[in-house]
Amino acid sequence: MTHATVLQTEGLCKYWGGVKALDNMSLSFHDKSVHGIVGPNGAGKSTLLNLLCGSYKPTAGRILHQGEAIEDIRAYQFVRRGIGRGFQKTNIYPQVTCLENCCIAAQRRVGGSFNILLSKNSSALLKEMAEQALQQVGLGSRRDTIASQISYGEQRQLEIAMVLATAPSVLLLDEPMAGMGHEESRLIIELLKKLKQDYCIVLVEHDMDAVFELSDQLTVMVNGQHLVTGCVDEVRNNSKVKEAYLGQGDEVI
Amino acid sequence: MTYFFGKKTEQLFIWLFFPLALLLPLFLEQNEFYVNKLTSVVIFAIFVMSLDYLVGRCGMITLGHSMFYGLGGYLFILIAPEFEAVNFWVYTFYICVLAAAIALVVGVIVLRTSGVYMIMITLAIAQMCFYFFSDSVEFGGNDGLFILMKPDTSLFGLAFFNLDDPLHFYYFCLLSLFNCLVFWKLVTGSRFGRIMEAVKDNPQRTTALGYNVFLFRLLSYVMASALAAYAGYLFALQYGFVNPSMMSWQTSGSALVMSILGGMGSLYGAILGTVVYEGLHYSLEHLTEHWLLLMGCLIIAMVMLFKAGIAGFLENLLERRK
Ligand SMILES: Nc1ncnc2c1ncn2[C@@H]1O[C@H](COP(=O)(O)OP(=O)(O)O)[C@@H](O)[C@H]1O
Ligand SMILES: [Mg+2]
Repeated sequence: MTHATVLQTEGLCKYWGGVKALDNMSLSFHDKSVHGIVGPNGAGKSTLLNLLCGSYKPTAGRILHQGEAIEDIRAYQFVRRGIGRGFQKTNIYPQVTCLENCCIAAQRRVGGSFNILLSKNSSALLKEMAEQALQQVGLGSRRDTIASQISYGEQRQLEIAMVLATAPSVLLLDEPMAGMGHEESRLIIELLKKLKQDYCIVLVEHDMDAVFELSDQLTVMVNGQHLVTGCVDEVRNNSKVKEAYLGQGDEVI
Repeated sequence: MTYFFGKKTEQLFIWLFFPLALLLPLFLEQNEFYVNKLTSVVIFAIFVMSLDYLVGRCGMITLGHSMFYGLGGYLFILIAPEFEAVNFWVYTFYICVLAAAIALVVGVIVLRTSGVYMIMITLAIAQMCFYFFSDSVEFGGNDGLFILMKPDTSLFGLAFFNLDDPLHFYYFCLLSLFNCLVFWKLVTGSRFGRIMEAVKDNPQRTTALGYNVFLFRLLSYVMASALAAYAGYLFALQYGFVNPSMMSWQTSGSALVMSILGGMGSLYGAILGTVVYEGLHYSLEHLTEHWLLLMGCLIIAMVMLFKAGIAGFLENLLERRK
């Protein structure tokens, strides 16, 4: 890879009792690229993302961001370092407008979140940031619609807009295309293609065509274990991958 | 006005309630008994509003809020010299700050839990406090203590009102209630309020957006507790005594019912809930010996009928969109 390493894991492990959800994972994620993560259900993909964003604490191993170890900092501090994450299940504030969803996300950047006397509508800058995030994902026309009333696909876009509104440098996306129709998926793929010019994206996704199309690097995981990492063609022709997938009978690449 | 009180129903309520409450003592021919009754309703509404904020706006369900209500009274006894009239404003400040400090410590413990666990732990701590005061000889045990010297209300040499005049005190409490409503509206409409609401709706998401959810909850808990103590302080001054029953779980329980009845989280609904509850209480008490039973049934019926409380019902009625 030509781009700098932004995020790195070294021997990362997460055990749930006896279950090794993630075992000895050492990966590097690069700037301005998409790193795809694939594997059958239960492979530990979501666990990996949860570790990378601080939601889970690792059982062992290290996470390095810009060369600094960050596995011990609190979950909310990951965002401050520029690590933003979208959820596998749509996770938005359904009762408020799309713009307000992004305002919540962006407010940390303008500050004053502990000010009980400063009106929430007092910052034009904040509104601008929120609007920009909506426009980035193509939801500009939905700014004043209540989030629960937009379509499922649009909610997935809003999910990404909220992460963008936090001004991250790393985007961790957990199955952003899950449950989407073909056209909606296309929208997200085009969006991610655009975003990868500026961000380091870690993409967990079941839709193989999408992953192959987008990924610069691809990691295959099985049962919490690292199987192979490489560019798309390397992985596609890897005999271990074929075996693992055919053996599981889950999906065929 | 429209800036704070965005909803039509809310504005209407404020324009109706406060003028009416201002004029009411005149209709009652300034009968001391009724004025005192009204005052205690207004004071309790301040307390209920702080609980309404916590439960309805922050999603923190506590059954221990009465502890701070009681502490408002006991703290005064504790820190004010017995035979000297202290300054009302200075002690208002002291009591709110002390209550806030206590809430900070209690909050750090209590807010590690949520949901049912939080209900249990807040209840347990409040009960501990209740038994401490009802068993202690120094604090008068079950009978409580009298406040021998009421504070002096002068500010920069000017006495705005006389604490011993029930009418003066009533108007002061009414002003306090209005100020509290404005304060809570400011808080909920602030940048802090935006994130607090987000925390209530989806704490996991809010953490993932980079906010320290715990600190938001803690600040809310501290503010609500300080104002609960303020209400308890006013209550103690009104009757000139404090008593452990102020801290009993029944006090928290009825405040919670009033908040639900009024429309949880609506803030002005706390006033509605308190007035309706106390109104029912007063009229049924005189009607029948079994007033508690009747009142229980009526409240259940109302809560079932008005899903979002009286405030929600009125909003539906007045603001139904075509
Ligand atoms: N909170 C949890 N508690 C216990 N086990 C968990 C938890 N989260 C995930 N696991 C287990 O870890 C393994 C990996 O899960 P996950 O990361 O969700 O896989 P994927 O996202 O690849 O489908 C599974 O066996 C799952 O049962
Ligand atoms: Mg998953």
